[in-house]
Amino acid sequence: MTGAGDETALNLPAELRRAVASLGGPAAAGAVTTSDLSIDEELNLHSLGWEPLELVSGYSVFSVAPGYWSWGQGEIASASAAHDGAFRHAIARMHRDAAAVGAHGVVGVHVERVVASSHVEISLLGTAVRPVGTRAIPADQVFVSDLSARDFTLLRTAGWEPLGLAVGASFVFAPRRRVGTVLQQQSQNVELTNFTEAIYAARESAMERMQKSALALKGTGVVDVKVVEGPMSFASHAVGFAAWGTVVRMVGDAHQLIHPRAVVSLNDLDVAFDARKLE
Amino acid sequence: MSNDTSDLPQATGRRLEELEKGLFTSDLSVNEFLLIKEVGFHPLGLVMGSSIYHTGIQTRKWSQSQELTKLTEAMYNARELAMTRMEEEAAQLGADGVVGVRLDVNYYEWGKDAAEFIAVGTAVKAEDGVSRRNKLGKPFTSDLSGQDFWTLVQTGYFPQGLVMGTCVYHIAHRGLGQTLGSAGQNVELPNFTQALYEARELAMTRMQDEATALDATGIVGVRLEEKSHQWGSHTIEFLSLGTAVVKASDVVSLDRPLTIVSLDN
Repeated sequence: MTGAGDETALNLPAELRRAVASLGGPAAAGAVTTSDLSIDEELNLHSLGWEPLELVSGYSVFSVAPGYWSWGQGEIASASAAHDGAFRHAIARMHRDAAAVGAHGVVGVHVERVVASSHVEISLLGTAVRPVGTRAIPADQVFVSDLSARDFTLLRTAGWEPLGLAVGASFVFAPRRRVGTVLQQQSQNVELTNFTEAIYAARESAMERMQKSALALKGTGVVDVKVVEGPMSFASHAVGFAAWGTVVRMVGDAHQLIHPRAVVSLNDLDVAFDARKLE
Repeated sequence: MSNDTSDLPQATGRRLEELEKGLFTSDLSVNEFLLIKEVGFHPLGLVMGSSIYHTGIQTRKWSQSQELTKLTEAMYNARELAMTRMEEEAAQLGADGVVGVRLDVNYYEWGKDAAEFIAVGTAVKAEDGVSRRNKLGKPFTSDLSGQDFWTLVQTGYFPQGLVMGTCVYHIAHRGLGQTLGSAGQNVELPNFTQALYEARELAMTRMQDEATALDATGIVGVRLEEKSHQWGSHTIEFLSLGTAVVKASDVVSLDRPLTIVSLDN
């Protein structure tokens, strides 16, 4: 993404130079297309009249100031803000990259997410797509979706369209139990209400943020929501909750039934029993 | 535990209110979402229940097989708490049921004997406005995927509730004499066999009792899980889980399956 000028100085083979050069501008006729779609997925896209254009990415790291995870009460606002910021920047960069190649959307986005004590890192990688033969649209109208190309096709067939990614995250302190309470509860079956309540608080804020970002995109639903939650491995009394999914909206007036058929595959089954595994 | 109905923390109210305005959230995949729509249901929202639970201590006898009732109770109570909270959220949304329920137990390095029990699913409501709640007046729950749900409904059955039974069992160690006696031979180890049988039976029976309470005619998709959690190799939890179903109609609308040879490898 640093511009084709630097690479041409090197003695690269012609083919590679052409590929590198084509990364910069919109895909012209006959230009090289990169995508991580499988052949099946590509066929699915073409059946809708869409084509893959380019592999695009978005990446962002936000730092979390030291000390925020250990002591305090309520939400760890600095960490929540870092998570939110990293996601927003990564998505914005993906929008920009996708718009630059003339895409209308990005499908099959892999979301990689690292939450460490010092930073939050978000990296996105997906395939930019557009309806065949259409013009570029403004970056903020490009949709980013973690649905696969296959899911995208299916969704469009049923009369729905993806609008973008909705994300929400929240990190919350769980108050420490008093030493007396810890000792007293040592041999009992009890619920640790301080942790349960912290998880609930984190979940509610996170889900609410996700719902807000979905409404901001004018969606009527969020599908395939991924949830990562639980206490943080590096801080004993902090819990986190993050959720993200693809915002969808109905295109027409009504949902189109897909009328699935039941099929029995006649393919050979995988070997279910292997005697060599017995020891 | 299930009788204190309003133990949802305050914050849930706001999120659920927002959901009532028409936005839905769901962890169903696109396939599952479309199949749920296909049988006339609309997703309402992702509903969850969780409980972080501290399990007590129970002494075990080295050479005696026995159920560890205190641990069984803990495992059951904590799951029940999570499930009940999830059902409450669904009821608050006015749902008819919850599909695709996942029950997980997470352990963390920092918390000895503490585990997080979580139940997550998608609340759904029938689009025709007819209530599909179970005989207890609660939303039905089911751990069936969207695909399984679709197929089940096509065959005239309908889910009533996710039922479970659990048993934490300590399996006796063998004495030195027994170990030496059977060294070098092909023999069955009857004490182990018997202990495993008994534990499994207890878990399955408890699950069936729950299904009976729902007037179910069957349990589908039963899974039997054996986990040692953090108790060492001789203490095992047997957990059986399944979806209790009733026959709702005799009409089977599922077509004869089409046989296909896929050209993929």
